[in-house]
Amino acid sequence: MELVLEYVIRGMTDVFFTADGAFDWLPAAMVLGGLVLGIVIGATPGLNGPFAMALSLPVLISFFGHSDEALLPILGFLIGVMKGATVGGAVPAILFNTPGTPDAYLTTLDGHPMALNGQGPKALKIAHFSSAAGDTFSDMVLFLTAPVLAVLIERVLDLPEKSALIVLSLSFMAAVAGNSAVKGLMVGVLGMLLALMGSTLSGHGARMTFGITALGNGLPLTSAVLGVLVVSEVLVAVERTARERLSLLALPSIAPTGDNRFGWQDVRRILPRVFTSAVIGTLVGALPGIGTTLAATLGYDSARRLSKHPEKFGTGLPEGVAATEAANSAVSGANLIPVMSLGIPGNFAAVFLILAVESVGSFTLGPSVFRFTEIKVIEDYGTIINRDLVVAFAIFTLMVLGNVFNWTIGSWFLRALGALSRIPRSIMLPCVLLITLTAVYAQDGGFVAIWVVIVFGAIGYVLRRLDVSILPFVIGFILAPKLEELVRGGYSASGGDPWFLLKSPLAVAFLAAALLVVLFAGRPLRPRAA
Amino acid sequence: MTRPRGRRREAPDPWDVGFGAALLALAVAALSWWFPHDIKGGFIEASVGGRRVPGDAFFPVLLAVALAVLAAVQVLLALLGRGARAPARDADPDAGRLTARDLRFLAWFHVIVLSGIALMYGLGPAAVAAAKALGLTDLDYRQLADTAPWKYLGYLAGGFVMTAGLIVYSEGRLRRRALVTVAIVLACAVLLFDVALTNVLLPPNADQ
Repeated sequence: MELVLEYVIRGMTDVFFTADGAFDWLPAAMVLGGLVLGIVIGATPGLNGPFAMALSLPVLISFFGHSDEALLPILGFLIGVMKGATVGGAVPAILFNTPGTPDAYLTTLDGHPMALNGQGPKALKIAHFSSAAGDTFSDMVLFLTAPVLAVLIERVLDLPEKSALIVLSLSFMAAVAGNSAVKGLMVGVLGMLLALMGSTLSGHGARMTFGITALGNGLPLTSAVLGVLVVSEVLVAVERTARERLSLLALPSIAPTGDNRFGWQDVRRILPRVFTSAVIGTLVGALPGIGTTLAATLGYDSARRLSKHPEKFGTGLPEGVAATEAANSAVSGANLIPVMSLGIPGNFAAVFLILAVESVGSFTLGPSVFRFTEIKVIEDYGTIINRDLVVAFAIFTLMVLGNVFNWTIGSWFLRALGALSRIPRSIMLPCVLLITLTAVYAQDGGFVAIWVVIVFGAIGYVLRRLDVSILPFVIGFILAPKLEELVRGGYSASGGDPWFLLKSPLAVAFLAAALLVVLFAGRPLRPRAA
Repeated sequence: MTRPRGRRREAPDPWDVGFGAALLALAVAALSWWFPHDIKGGFIEASVGGRRVPGDAFFPVLLAVALAVLAAVQVLLALLGRGARAPARDADPDAGRLTARDLRFLAWFHVIVLSGIALMYGLGPAAVAAAKALGLTDLDYRQLADTAPWKYLGYLAGGFVMTAGLIVYSEGRLRRRALVTVAIVLACAVLLFDVALTNVLLPPNADQ
């Protein structure tokens, strides 16, 4: 226990002090800056947290560089954005009945009727309280479970089991994220194939480049991910805006009237729903690939079922807003459980945290992070310590800081920045595209990055139009080098046994589970009897 | 004759079949042409110590085989009418398919974006060449790529055409408010990427 505490303290110290002991305000300020930007982006219809993280990452890397010292400020900003955007999404849903994301649609059900009744500010306060509570609960679960899970994984899993676990995770994501598990798996494998372009592990020179010299160092990771996520979203949104002329629709403004105070009585009223939804959101979030929409739906539904007056839901009930916001916010912390314990991203926000970790410094996510190495100071040598574990606790400290800022000043920003949600998306999205292209050019230093963004944007657009989830594609793209390393290592360690994956009972169990997940998800739903 | 008991098959969705067929063709092309021509290492190689170790082609071949199998399953399921949960075509009749309208939009989008990029790439060097021809400078663009106003010309003009073009496309009209916003965003981008970040270059200056 003493050792754990020692690592926790060192992690906290890393956030607030430099290596030579001077106070360092930068990581905390970056969390605050990220939180404010996240609220602004979340409050803007058509934009969301991953969008802001995608745009920020190349700029942050250009600004802070790739050294170990750059990691905490960069991660602090991204964590702040992730938390702020989760809260900010309630603004357009409540005030203008324009949900930016599918889960925010459920916030409109009771939030907008409250705004129509002149209780918009109160609805925003409820949304903020519930969102911050759900997020904090989920973070606490992350802090407790990720290290335990990682230690277990490190003890039990070897190369074949880890390979099989990645296959299972990808299958699970493919099964839950789109309309067809097989299609999801196909695009996951396609993403993996494209990720191998330009790399080599045998020293024979760059592979799969079509002879294009510029691809010799591989496809720029950030550019490819930004293309699929951001540019394809810009494409879809510009097309939709052009067809529907959305920007020309005026957003109605409703003046607040009546009692908009939010006191202890209100807290007592919504607290049971907040807690139930936080538990639901955390459980849903811990599974890779399942998004906030399912959590919000289950949270809202459970609140309605547990209510003595279910018929009043949808008419402007505070419990409806609280249940939805607590559930969808609880997903964000729990989604980092597979990231911290396995190094496998479960959602888009986690993708950008992984991208940051892979691009900056020497820290690596995964089960080996949580190895509690005895700390020893050896004369004339230095300190023997697991630096990665210190960084992991520093990341947890940044998340706690984000929660503290969110609880204390988040609500004020939420209400003050509500006006920003009036910026028309017809102007916003082309500007986002310009900044994306400039940022990837600056980070990767050339037009190759721009071409990659555009080509991957087109791939993402086609997948979205064909109703195929892009999440398995992105996760496959990111995990390909890791899976290749594991598979090659497992094959070599087995002495060239082609059936090495099937020699371990646990690996077989993971692969069988992957198959079951795909088969189960592939079964068409039986129509209900009339 | 009555149908046997069981679920009624739906008609195969050509988009589901086509999606599987396209990726099956890609996997077969990768295995038969792309990898043999574009991967120098083998599938299995002998290490210096004589052990059998995976070569550069090992993992790509495994992935391409997996893709081919999955694509074949997709085609089969689609032909049996069990390819995917049906997209919500009540809400959007074009869900799950790529229409001619989508392709037209994609073409327009890329015309606008590529015009902007072409301007970004070429305007600075063209302006310097013109200035040189007029005797206003003796230097090449490469030598002026970090000097105002030359270094901003392509970025500002190309960025403006791309961004304003997409806004006009979206809104169907040209508004002064949109143009002013684009100008402000471009100014902010220059301040951020050129003034605040001293170690990076604006497009196209890193390529010159």
